[in-house]
Amino acid sequence: MTTWIRVARYHLVDPIAYLVGPWAILAFVFLVNLVITAVQGGPNPTKALAVVFLYFFAIGILSISRSLPFGLALGVSRRSYYTGTVLLVAGLAAVDGLALTLLQVAERATGGWGLSLHFFQVSFILAGPWDLTWLTSSVGLVLLFLYGQWFAIVRRRWNAFGTVAFIIGQVAVIRVGIVLATPTHGRTSVGSFLATLTPARLTGVLAAIAALLIIGGLAIVRRVTV
Amino acid sequence: MTPAISLAGLTRRYHDQLALDDVTFEIEGASITGLLGRNGAGKTTLMRTIAAQEFASAGSVRVFGDSPFEDDAVLRRIALVREDQIFPALRVRHVLRTASWFYPNWDGHLAAGLLADFDLPLNRFVTRLSRGMRSALGIVIGLASRAELTLFDEPYSGLDAAARQLFYDRLLADFAEHPRTVLVSTHLIDEAADLLERVLVIDRGRIVLDAAAEDLRGAATTVSGTTPAVEEFVAGRTVWDRRRVGSQASLVVAGALDDGDRARARRLNLSLTPVSLQQLVTHVPTGATRDPREDSRA
Repeated sequence: MTTWIRVARYHLVDPIAYLVGPWAILAFVFLVNLVITAVQGGPNPTKALAVVFLYFFAIGILSISRSLPFGLALGVSRRSYYTGTVLLVAGLAAVDGLALTLLQVAERATGGWGLSLHFFQVSFILAGPWDLTWLTSSVGLVLLFLYGQWFAIVRRRWNAFGTVAFIIGQVAVIRVGIVLATPTHGRTSVGSFLATLTPARLTGVLAAIAALLIIGGLAIVRRVTV
Repeated sequence: MTPAISLAGLTRRYHDQLALDDVTFEIEGASITGLLGRNGAGKTTLMRTIAAQEFASAGSVRVFGDSPFEDDAVLRRIALVREDQIFPALRVRHVLRTASWFYPNWDGHLAAGLLADFDLPLNRFVTRLSRGMRSALGIVIGLASRAELTLFDEPYSGLDAAARQLFYDRLLADFAEHPRTVLVSTHLIDEAADLLERVLVIDRGRIVLDAAAEDLRGAATTVSGTTPAVEEFVAGRTVWDRRRVGSQASLVVAGALDDGDRARARRLNLSLTPVSLQQLVTHVPTGATRDPREDSRA
């Protein structure tokens, strides 16, 4: 337990990356969108909230590519490093997700900041009740972090060849998914499932994927060298 | 007594390249051991494997009696300072603060003193440090950690002679007060020779020499003079190196010389020069694991 806490402190020793960074970038992008909406006028359903999720993807990569080598040099096992890092990010995602939820509530209450700006409301996925928004955004942040970690873990474990294979594999899975979900295959279980997908069910799917990424990541990171 | 390091048949293979080949040795108790060898000899791979940053293809690694692989209790007793250490985007003070949380024997006063000695800027990002400054930071961490097993892998890359001497002095001073197991890899052999109690020479992944440093001094001698006289003197001895210029010859012979040998050399008008540790390591025949002290006259 104490090693996990030390790992978390290691990531937070400079608060820029994990605490300040996401909000600094989000604040900047939000202000830009606010200005654009003010100038152009009218309803503006932007998707710029994605920037905070992409930020988590980026720090997920860095947590393995830059921070892991020094973590191991400090006498931490890969398992402890990985577990401590994921627990930290899960906690941060819960807090950040709650903050995003509160901002969404404020956005709704002010009519899109008085400009009909939909920055913290994203159609379908982040447009439901506050508790679902909190859950979905938290799960989404964790998922993107884990996804970034996976790229770096695969790169460290199997080098460039593994990374290319990893990307090709994902493309193949997506292609198969699209084929199975087309009307021709509408009676397949995948097509039926997607047809009835609600934001809550989507969140459940994302959480399941995140769980698989954690289990797989923990298994692979144990064989990573630095 | 449980050895600090115990390696048995340690082998590391990368596809068709053998980085470590059946490495077996033990290091017991507090000592400073030199791991010497040329670039690419396997020094870094060996150190990384001891610290569980790399995996063995075969054989075993024991640190304080246990496998270090994924064992936090063992790993926290090890500090590995690497020449090519990757740091996150942190400032020097952040790196040191983090290190202080992980090493149970961390000495903040020693770290502060070393920082001043090496003139390291606390607020500068590690990624913006010069190569020498980054090496100095590694040295600060390695020494201040006071880890029971400290591994220095070419720790002074980019440091000037004065800074390297500072490292040697601080290491010896701190070791005297807090004895522990230190393994230093280097190719600046003569410079570090006075530090070392024991020498391991690695060549192409194999340990080709394992001996006490004191015993190695005088373990080989350069014999110079006219070719016939030199050849007469070295007859029956193991010769590691032969150089001839005109009628003069200079040969490196293994094995210690006694008073009778010296008297004989004087009669033959030969010059005898002790081979330095650096020269000794260069001349150790590759592929033969043996102690040159065992070489003797036929």
